Amino acid sequence: MKSNAKKVEDILKARGVEINEDIIEYKIPEAHESFQKLIAIYYGMKVTADMEAPYWFNRIWWENDGDLNQMKRAKAVAGSYAHITPTILPWEKLVMSKTTHMRGAFPFPWVCGSFFNAQAQAFMDEVDAPPLSEADAVSQVGTGGGNVTKSYGEIISIAQKFGVRKEDIPVLVKVSKYWEGIAIEDISKKYGKYLKNYDQYQREMDAVVIMFDSWAIPQGREVMNYYVPLQYGFDKIQELCDEKMQTLMGEAGEDGVLGMSRGYYYACMKEVAKGLSQWAQNYADKARDLASREPDEAFKKNYMEIAKMMDNVAHKAPASFREALQMTYLCHLGVVNEDPQSGQSIGRLGQVLQPFYEKDIADGVCTDEDVIELLELYRIKITAIECFASSGVTGGVLSGNTFNNLGIGGRGHDGLSAATPLEYLIIEAAMRAHTPQPTLSVLYDEKLPDAFLMKAAMCIKLGMGFPAFMNARVSEEFMLRQYGEEGMTVTDARAWMLGGCLENSPGSWSPLEYNGKVTWIPGGAGPTAGTGIHFTGLPKVLELVLTNGVDARTDKMVFPPHNEKIDSFEKLLELWKRYLDISNDIANKVNNIQMDIWRKLTPPTVNSLLKKGCWEKGQTIADCGALYNGTINFESCGTITFINSLAAIKKLVFEEKKYTLEEMKDAMLNNFGFKTAYETGVFSPDFREATEDAPKYAKIFADCINAPKYGNANPEADSLLKWYEDYMAEILPKLRSYYGRPEYMCQISVSTHGPQGFVTLATADGRLAGTTYSDGSVSAAAGTDRNGVYAVFESATVYDHSMEQNSQMNLKIHPSAVKGQTGTRKLLNLIQAYMRKGGFHVQFNIVGSDTLREAQKNIDAHRDLMVRVAGFTQYWCEIGKAIQDEVIYRTEYDEV
Amino acid sequence: MNRHYDCINYLNLDCEKGLCALDKGIVMIDGEGSQACPRFKPAKKCGNCKNFSNPDKYGIGTCSGYEKENWAYATCGAFSCKNYKG
Repeated sequence: MKSNAKKVEDILKARGVEINEDIIEYKIPEAHESFQKLIAIYYGMKVTADMEAPYWFNRIWWENDGDLNQMKRAKAVAGSYAHITPTILPWEKLVMSKTTHMRGAFPFPWVCGSFFNAQAQAFMDEVDAPPLSEADAVSQVGTGGGNVTKSYGEIISIAQKFGVRKEDIPVLVKVSKYWEGIAIEDISKKYGKYLKNYDQYQREMDAVVIMFDSWAIPQGREVMNYYVPLQYGFDKIQELCDEKMQTLMGEAGEDGVLGMSRGYYYACMKEVAKGLSQWAQNYADKARDLASREPDEAFKKNYMEIAKMMDNVAHKAPASFREALQMTYLCHLGVVNEDPQSGQSIGRLGQVLQPFYEKDIADGVCTDEDVIELLELYRIKITAIECFASSGVTGGVLSGNTFNNLGIGGRGHDGLSAATPLEYLIIEAAMRAHTPQPTLSVLYDEKLPDAFLMKAAMCIKLGMGFPAFMNARVSEEFMLRQYGEEGMTVTDARAWMLGGCLENSPGSWSPLEYNGKVTWIPGGAGPTAGTGIHFTGLPKVLELVLTNGVDARTDKMVFPPHNEKIDSFEKLLELWKRYLDISNDIANKVNNIQMDIWRKLTPPTVNSLLKKGCWEKGQTIADCGALYNGTINFESCGTITFINSLAAIKKLVFEEKKYTLEEMKDAMLNNFGFKTAYETGVFSPDFREATEDAPKYAKIFADCINAPKYGNANPEADSLLKWYEDYMAEILPKLRSYYGRPEYMCQISVSTHGPQGFVTLATADGRLAGTTYSDGSVSAAAGTDRNGVYAVFESATVYDHSMEQNSQMNLKIHPSAVKGQTGTRKLLNLIQAYMRKGGFHVQFNIVGSDTLREAQKNIDAHRDLMVRVAGFTQYWCEIGKAIQDEVIYRTEYDEV
Repeated sequence: MNRHYDCINYLNLDCEKGLCALDKGIVMIDGEGSQACPRFKPAKKCGNCKNFSNPDKYGIGTCSGYEKENWAYATCGAFSCKNYKG
């Protein structure tokens, strides 16, 4: 799309009017009325859990007891979807939700039943609730927006987020009882205990050195693939399953292990297709039902259009852009309803749906404005996707977000720019309809058109925190490093996309036949990238080295005492590596067991219909059906806090010898003479309230603050980052996932730098106890980057970013610094400078700290304010205070 | 007292409120303003189905609408149930 601003400029110039280029901005049209009606309703919505889907899952599962596990799972999932009560609101043009509620979700007692069973009585009378887990206790869910953080009236609050009606509670308790002792959580713990040092895992979890169990979110952090339903439709899929069963049932082929399973796979997929079809059909029926009683002709017409659309989606391959978009949304919900999930990426939707858009426009079926309206409504639909998990996961990790990422740009099957005309409209819809999801990610390549990149940069300036920019070439290199041994080609490497916020995920191309031609469309080709070792707090491991394995916050032993004198920096690093090895070894084994139990007991079904490789091979994701399976990773947290702490100790203790290590430790244990964040309730490192001991530690505190810091192009600190990244790239592939594939490093903090900072003492870089860690992985610690943003770029690119799955760079820029078209160009130049240096990712908060401070005080007046936290955007009012404080304190650049 | 919540024209929004399909206005499930208007018609819920029987004090009873009899709960939505008998 050509910007209106450019047109105005041309007209004025033609008339001889001189204008100041800097003041011209594209005047963004308002969102369509349908969006405005629905977003107003959304803002008033409470996040709600109900029991329809769990009830039907549980009933159908047990009614099929004795059948193959994968068939029980397929029937239970499909049957539960087919029974959800459809809700259609009068202004909707796209329909469906996870549940009958707009912001609905539901519990999964077959994944984790102990919480509900332990609290059964407490739920019934809301007294004597058992204590929360440590991670839950230190995690905060935002108190505003739609979160139900406390029970009231007929509503019970669960996980400090979900409102459940009291009449659903006996059903929750009754369903949970079936799974007592046999949920994935229980069985994986049973087998985990065969590990001789299983207690080590529990000690680390209790100390929040690592964050959560893999079964908590067993799917997600991957990319959807919509090819099969877009190509065939559900009736044809069922026919194809029948044909496959006729051919394969009873035939092992050349595979004595999985060969026979192919027949069962297609039998299951037929059930899945039937369930998804019925779910869609229920909406068609509901639309007709509403139309039959609707007094207003315009609403009646809308309902009848929905009925027609859903009739087609239920049975046929889509024949229009609207049907195709609805089909992808149906499939997306089908996958995210299978398990507790976050980070189920939409993928490169504007490339997948371009053939449908192109045909409709050519045929005059719809206009760009019609398409933009649908894309605006799609934004509400994706924003409304919730994840039912514990408060530790929901608040402490996700900040209430589900990270449904939509990629734009990148390279196509032919190696050229993949940007499509539809992607311009996707950006345009995001600029008009402000919602946190889907977040947009530009897969940056030099081949992308300048106008496309400028439009993306213009969108960033609106302050929603997206699009983020990810470096396609760096990612493609990583793809070939990681998946080359599984046969990935250069062409398939180009089909990558982010799974979740920032997790590079493998993709592949499929030949969509539509409108008389074949279009190669990208889609996900790997399972979850989010179920390895979860969020190791790097500074906490260092702290435990200094305290000989004992958590000074709780006085509990976490690691075996090393009992060694730390008389050199090299010894310090050696001990840190030793503790990290202990942690990685046990955490990897336990998580492997958890995920293996998950895939054996409740193999993914809808996702196994869609994921590239599964349909072709006749194997579920559980059986390595996906094309590429080396997706499991190690997640880190607090990288730069760790690096800066090392730099301070190296300089002050071992090089200048100004302090002994004991003096440094004493200062850290005593929080440099300040009150802790637990005492003050403020989690920003810039808030310091002195105690009477402050003078005693004033000198060492000043020296720690002034020690070398990452982000200033200072080799003293940056060389430590390079050492760390190289070391991790060397050791992590030695860890093997439950798929038998090498692991790698994922450097996203999500929101874990809040709770993990909370449990960590003061650190040698001058950070106080309980305050958040540095955000991202290559963002400078707040307030420590003093040489400008290009110095941060210099520091961040001292190592090869393609060695790891990702890196994360968050920047905060005051809106005045990027004003006007010149400002947009400057912003794009800044991004390109980083991409050209080999940085993988950069994203921006274009907002002033003063605005955020005001919003923190007056939260109700800022219901629609959004910020970029990590690889996601969230409503300010739905973020916990620790992360709010951290975002406020991030370095703010006044010029670029 | 009939509630909006139990009416065929009630559209689910969240745990505390819904939308009237006829008036397009927000209606509350509980408390003040939750009473249905004269246009009330019962929604399809398990509790209104002829295949549902013997509910206990929590509304949990028996569903005999399928091949295998099983427990069910009265407030469960039944619009999508192919064996619903009103």
